[in-house]
Amino acid sequence: MSGIQRFLSMRPRRWTVAALAALVLLWGCGADQGGKSPGDGTPSRGTIGLSVMTLTNPFFKVIADTLTDEARKYGYEVVVTSGEFDVARQRNQVKDFIVRKVSAIVLCPTDSKAIGTAIQEANQAGIPVFTADLACLAPGAKVVSHIATDNYAGGKEAGKAMIEALGEAGGKIVVLHYEQAESCLLRVKGFNEIIDQYNRERQAGNIDIVAVLPGGGAKDGGYKAAEDAIQAHPDLVGIFAINDPSALGARAALEKAGKADQVRIIGFDGQPEGKQAIKDGLIYADPVQFPDRIGRRTMQTIARHFEGEEVPAEILIPTALYRKADAEKDPTLQ
Amino acid sequence: MGNPRFHRLLSRLLSDYGMVLVLVLLGACFSYVTWDEQHPTGIEAAEQLTDRITGEFPPGAAVLVVAREHREDADFADSLQQRLTGAGLKVLGTVKGQPPDARDHLEALSRSGVGLDAIACTDVTGRWAVFDRLGDKFPGLAGARILTPPSYRWPNFLKRDNLLNVANQIAVIAILAVGMTMVIITAGIDLSVGSLIAFSAVVCTWLIREAASAEAAGPLDMVLCGLGAILLCGLLGAFSGVMVTWFAIPPFIATLGMMLVASGLAYILAEGQSVYQVPDSFVWLGRGADFLRIPNAVVLMLALYLSAHLLMTRTALGRYIYAVGGNREAARLSGVPVTAVLVFVYTLCAALAGLGGVVMASQLKSGSPTYGLMYELYTIAAVVVGGASLAGGEGRIFGTLIGAFIIAVIQNGMNLTGVESYTQKVVLGAVILGAVMLDIAKKRGWGRLQRARQV
Repeated sequence: MSGIQRFLSMRPRRWTVAALAALVLLWGCGADQGGKSPGDGTPSRGTIGLSVMTLTNPFFKVIADTLTDEARKYGYEVVVTSGEFDVARQRNQVKDFIVRKVSAIVLCPTDSKAIGTAIQEANQAGIPVFTADLACLAPGAKVVSHIATDNYAGGKEAGKAMIEALGEAGGKIVVLHYEQAESCLLRVKGFNEIIDQYNRERQAGNIDIVAVLPGGGAKDGGYKAAEDAIQAHPDLVGIFAINDPSALGARAALEKAGKADQVRIIGFDGQPEGKQAIKDGLIYADPVQFPDRIGRRTMQTIARHFEGEEVPAEILIPTALYRKADAEKDPTLQ
Repeated sequence: MGNPRFHRLLSRLLSDYGMVLVLVLLGACFSYVTWDEQHPTGIEAAEQLTDRITGEFPPGAAVLVVAREHREDADFADSLQQRLTGAGLKVLGTVKGQPPDARDHLEALSRSGVGLDAIACTDVTGRWAVFDRLGDKFPGLAGARILTPPSYRWPNFLKRDNLLNVANQIAVIAILAVGMTMVIITAGIDLSVGSLIAFSAVVCTWLIREAASAEAAGPLDMVLCGLGAILLCGLLGAFSGVMVTWFAIPPFIATLGMMLVASGLAYILAEGQSVYQVPDSFVWLGRGADFLRIPNAVVLMLALYLSAHLLMTRTALGRYIYAVGGNREAARLSGVPVTAVLVFVYTLCAALAGLGGVVMASQLKSGSPTYGLMYELYTIAAVVVGGASLAGGEGRIFGTLIGAFIIAVIQNGMNLTGVESYTQKVVLGAVILGAVMLDIAKKRGWGRLQRARQV
């Protein structure tokens, strides 16, 4: 039994190893060619690292896309990553940005507290951090500027839309909440203030918020909460849902109970599905957010920072009320 | 040609640790792809920039130094200022801050009417837009030139910081994979480790908040809280072990149940929120780097691998674990305490998951029931890529470490090259499939070798 024989007999294995390794490498490198490979094209001003909460929500996708486009105008390239709701993963993405020595980091934190340590590490590496849409609430983490929807004013608009939808009669309404999110707390705060103010000014036809239920910010949660609400209050006339998915879930429950015409729904967001629902009359109106403006404004703020200007610690992008009439003129809907 | 001993060694290496080769190849590939311009930092950068400036400007030239405020840049700025002054140049000022600070300085200089010949920057500050069209914005500084340290080329992947980064990122999964390797060697599986991470992180931070004095907790308190969390996880693991042995519930089902229970308990205890009332020093385990500047989590991980390796290769218990996985009935007949071995293995696996949870809570300085999502699957992938067989009886502790590193290197490499996250999943899945194919091919080759021997 010579060594050569042994060598020959193991050869196929080596080939398998080599072939598989080559396959793996081709995958890796091939994928890289499709993406943004560093060092090609025009001399860049630097790289901006972006990590959003999830790319499965069109809202964040729009932020990522507009930020990337706008960044190109200023000579930056953007690396888009997504934490997909996993804060440990998002932290690793930030650490990779630090190793790459990116010029700036933009985050939509998956967890407003736990992301703090990652931001501190970026602070220690001297990299400016910006947050978009979702804020960081961890003490000791330094964020240059936070760019987000004005949720409080948006909530007020939702309140006005509810008053408009119910007319003189008023009646009982419920709020489908998502209390875990800071943004939703602000929306409901604004909404409540407008409704309270309205009730103070009149004797009859008041609007009563009879319950605040957890809708989970999702269709299934909105469906269940709305079903329970109709059982408890058969004379319900309105629902304010803090986002489109829970509004649509509520709508499904109303249709099942045969109360779709009795109850008016106000949503929030203005995602394509929500806008379509407004056009079809399923939702009365939405204060719509502008993720494209958030993305563009974030990049402009970064550019201003590098120009040496002082930028505000918080920049709020107003919402706009979107009703059926707007939907009918909207070219993005069929 | 052909030293038989060399070939035997090569053959053993390939069959035992063929995955090492894959890891090296992956490393080589990512080194090639991330070959990029690098910039010296700190004092080294100051040294090289001084040479450049003194080569281009005569003594007496006026220079402004611009760096950011963190330590590396501060070293650069201080050292540069010293060297330039020593070489007879005039340093008009040193900016340690962000672009607005640089702007203020430039404005003041421009107004004062003192001429400026050069602005000495790091590679990062040199690219700040505030220095664009300098003459238009600050008429007094029209002639000033921006100088940065000369660059060299080196792969981003192979930088010391990045390699430590890779090790640090995989530490939690690698710690889990130690226990998982043992469970899989006994032909079992543990699906509960991901939830146990969340449970342990929540228990640990919750204990610090409720039982110790929250932000004012001392080191001993924190160690006790961490041990408490690990102990509780160990108990849950022992429970799974009892389910698997005494009640003969298949491990898949027993640990699936435990996965839901642990996750639910974590949500109940934390009331769905993250628990963050912990002292600043809590991050020592996850973020400190005391030993040779290697992160503590990585040191912990390596120590665990070494002990587990010794346990599996040098002790009777290790051989029992292999024996139970190889043939349970034969092991029982030859006097191996099968039940005790299995309960031990599940307990250890869960306790290690608890440790992983404490490390993660420390890294993130908070505990949340959402941690550890899908970690059981990444852990199993690391073990399988590392060469352990799901049929039991086979597997090596260091093989698992290699497997964990392969996964970490792929993720890190793709992040460095900017591959989007969806593609990353596809590549990762393909690698896991490739690894198992390789494992099977390896065994077939083995059979051929044995046939050749019999001739």
